[in-house]
Amino acid sequence: MTSAPVKKVPVVLVANRGEIAVRIVAAARRIGASPVLAASAADADSLAARLADRVIIIGPAQAGKSYLRPEYVAEAAVHAGADVVHAGYGFLSEQPELAELLEAENIAFAGPRPETLRAVGDKTSARRVAVAAGVPVAVATEIDDPSFAASLGDSLGYPLLIKAVHGGGGRGIRLVHNSVELADLAPQAAAEAQAAFGNGALYLERFYPAARHVEVQVFGDGEGGVQVFGDRDCSVQRRHQKLIEECPAPGLSEARRLVLHDASRALVKALRYRGAGTVEFLVDTESDDVVFLEMNARIQVEHPVTEEAFGIDLVAAQLRLALGLDPQLPDVSAVPPMVAIEVRINAEDPDNDFRPNPGLISHVDWPRGPGIRVDTHVESGYRFPPFYDSLMAKLIVRAHSRTAAVEALHSAAGDVRIDGVKTTLPLHDFVLSHPDFIRGGVSTTWFAPAWEHRNSQLTEGTK
Amino acid sequence: MTTPSTPSWQDILDLVTQLDDGSFESATVEFGDVSVRLSRSADASAPAAPAAPAPQAPQVSQPTAALVAPPAATAVAAEPAATAVLPAEPLSPGTVVTAPIIGVFYRSPTPGASPFVEPGAIVSADTTIGIIEVMKLMNPVSAGNAGILKEFLVADNAQIEFGQPLAVIIEDASS
Repeated sequence: MTSAPVKKVPVVLVANRGEIAVRIVAAARRIGASPVLAASAADADSLAARLADRVIIIGPAQAGKSYLRPEYVAEAAVHAGADVVHAGYGFLSEQPELAELLEAENIAFAGPRPETLRAVGDKTSARRVAVAAGVPVAVATEIDDPSFAASLGDSLGYPLLIKAVHGGGGRGIRLVHNSVELADLAPQAAAEAQAAFGNGALYLERFYPAARHVEVQVFGDGEGGVQVFGDRDCSVQRRHQKLIEECPAPGLSEARRLVLHDASRALVKALRYRGAGTVEFLVDTESDDVVFLEMNARIQVEHPVTEEAFGIDLVAAQLRLALGLDPQLPDVSAVPPMVAIEVRINAEDPDNDFRPNPGLISHVDWPRGPGIRVDTHVESGYRFPPFYDSLMAKLIVRAHSRTAAVEALHSAAGDVRIDGVKTTLPLHDFVLSHPDFIRGGVSTTWFAPAWEHRNSQLTEGTK
Repeated sequence: MTTPSTPSWQDILDLVTQLDDGSFESATVEFGDVSVRLSRSADASAPAAPAAPAPQAPQVSQPTAALVAPPAATAVAAEPAATAVLPAEPLSPGTVVTAPIIGVFYRSPTPGASPFVEPGAIVSADTTIGIIEVMKLMNPVSAGNAGILKEFLVADNAQIEFGQPLAVIIEDASS
């Protein structure tokens, strides 16, 4: 007389907002789970809120009193009867405090273990872990005595950055091109570091003026097992903010790709990393150097290009793994069968120093066609709030070759219609039609001067 | 404060009770220079000031502005489903105390102890009316306004969200 136990539908608490909340709700549906949204009062009527089975208001509009409070999110998870919490990217996605609070309540966290979050959370400890795993890092040497700095610098090679050992936030960093500059600036930097951080210790780090940002998508089973899902190039950046991403990274030699993937695999194995993660590298365009930047222990904004190029669902895989299920990810080759490129459409005015431009979006039309994907929470009539980041939508296009993908994306971006707020679409029109981008493989320092040049030409044209 | 042309608090309550039994979505009733606006949806109560005649708007203590709020409070209490979006806190008398944080609401300091306050009690702005537990941390909730605690809108030990109405404080007519 045994009856099969009633299988409870798992509950997924979505602890984020905007497009990624919509994305996680969709993944929850895909695995047959019930999505519950933890939202601020400002997002009570958002698209994600309407798509979820239930909305729990965790605080007021200000993120500091809602989305950034681990105890409020954990409380909402308890109220929801959640089996797993997915925190998306940003906010609490890499905060060990949330993972620990959930652990105490026996609720799964769709991410790495808290100790992993700590290990990769700060640059010094991440670098230590990377070195131990045999991952290439930027050559760096501590300076014991500023008067000997020049000879140390000569052994490393130029250009170099002088950095404060105990510094942070980019303060006190100096770029030097030769031993004369180094001998000149090292004592100044030491004095400044002493004044600012109470410690004058310095180190020298190799600087790459023309490097690409290439990152590797990994997925760990938490026991040392690793799957690698190719790489992404995110070199089109403005002030360290990614604007366009693509999978695979174009023009990488097989040898270089192997170095990146093997290093990432080694790091994930060493950490016994659990779930989706990204290992970021600088790939120099002037030498063969590849250096580790950091590991992001979360799903990334640009994950759709990997999903489209390989035909996988990374967010559903995160949820399945967290629920103790098979993530259902295939083993894939190093290079995906398709090329996918994404542009980030932000509510910013590109002709006004990219000033945030929130407000009422009176009308919006997204493009249609083969291989086109739009990840967004924006609809006609949506009032884009001023409280959060300016990401409105990610437009992703997939095609059989990079050339075809660039052309299709350029055309699709031209078909986007957003009325009411200024957006970064003009920027994408510029980049997607630029010969340097069409050729592929631009460095992270390419965009700023190219955009400057475009603007000065526009100004000339109006004279 | 009550003049022949101004309705008493009881008049308003009676009016709300009568209208609540009817099928009105919203109603505006004017007694001389006093305007009372009632709505079943929470949103409609937010702009309290425009309902008052312009010259009186700065006189916050006048019943004119104050009386606009209570019907909405009653409406929200009658429809607990509408917890997500709440009216801005109106000025007394007749104020809804909303939850400042998400958590579990307790009316007593410890299980089994007598409640901090019972309905009908006179409270001052800093009287503790309950506590909200968030992940083992206890946060006292004060009345926020002086008056009579008319009723609690949530049960003891209930899971509550940010902004959820907890209790109604009405003006103490005897003071």
